[in-house]
Amino acid sequence: MDTQQQLQQAFSDALGIPPEKVSDGLTYNTIPEWDSTAHMVLIAELENVFDVMLDTDDIIDMSSVAQAKLILQKYNVSFA
Amino acid sequence: MLSDEPVNQFTLSAYQVELLPMTQAHQALLRSWRNQDEIRRQMLSATLITEEQQQAWFKKTHLDPKQLHWVIKFRDQLIGATNVKSLEAGKTAEQANLLEPGLYIGERRYQGNIIAFAPTLAMYDFCFDQLGTKRFRAVVKRSNQNALSYNQKLGYAIVEDQELMVLELEAENYRRATAPIKQFLSRTRNAK
Repeated sequence: MDTQQQLQQAFSDALGIPPEKVSDGLTYNTIPEWDSTAHMVLIAELENVFDVMLDTDDIIDMSSVAQAKLILQKYNVSFA
Repeated sequence: MLSDEPVNQFTLSAYQVELLPMTQAHQALLRSWRNQDEIRRQMLSATLITEEQQQAWFKKTHLDPKQLHWVIKFRDQLIGATNVKSLEAGKTAEQANLLEPGLYIGERRYQGNIIAFAPTLAMYDFCFDQLGTKRFRAVVKRSNQNALSYNQKLGYAIVEDQELMVLELEAENYRRATAPIKQFLSRTRNAK
């Protein structure tokens, strides 16, 4: 599984939505499944999958799937 | 019973935000936020506020010991406003056991962001821990599902289920409900 698929699976698991619903345009608080509680589960899942610990600033800024990719790249996770 | 000087002298800093006592200098910005359609719609009074009304409101509220008002600063930008009001006759906000909170995030980019919890956490910590507040009571329109959900995540319980919903929060439930989000908003940089 490449990092793109890992990211998609992490969002799917944390938010409880099908992987095909995970696209770059998916944004925090725009679907009922991605609320503040799920956001914390998502952060924990991403940290576990990619073995990183995110700064609070990055937790706040991680407001979409596209943004998650940009932030994870700062932690040396690359998306081909 | 109005005070001779501004009653709110408390500057709070926690969870990445600063709460600054509201002053005259903030009034134009507050009015522009307050008159946004999406904010106005959720208020108990949805009318547009004129400059004169804003000034009259400020003149009274900043000297009223029953209310404490702050503006919210995040990353060097003012993003919203928050307040508490005493719900007990004859008691100031600092003395009352029961307070009513208010909050709005005026900056659109932060309205649907997890940072919207930070000013509330900073203010509630201050009230429960420093002022000795026992309980918060929030009144929310039933149609305002975002606010209902937000309050329930803070640990509020519904006590009156009507068109205007009444929710209440005690310190123990607040601490239990908010422990995880506080942890995420309090991390130090490069912890791993």
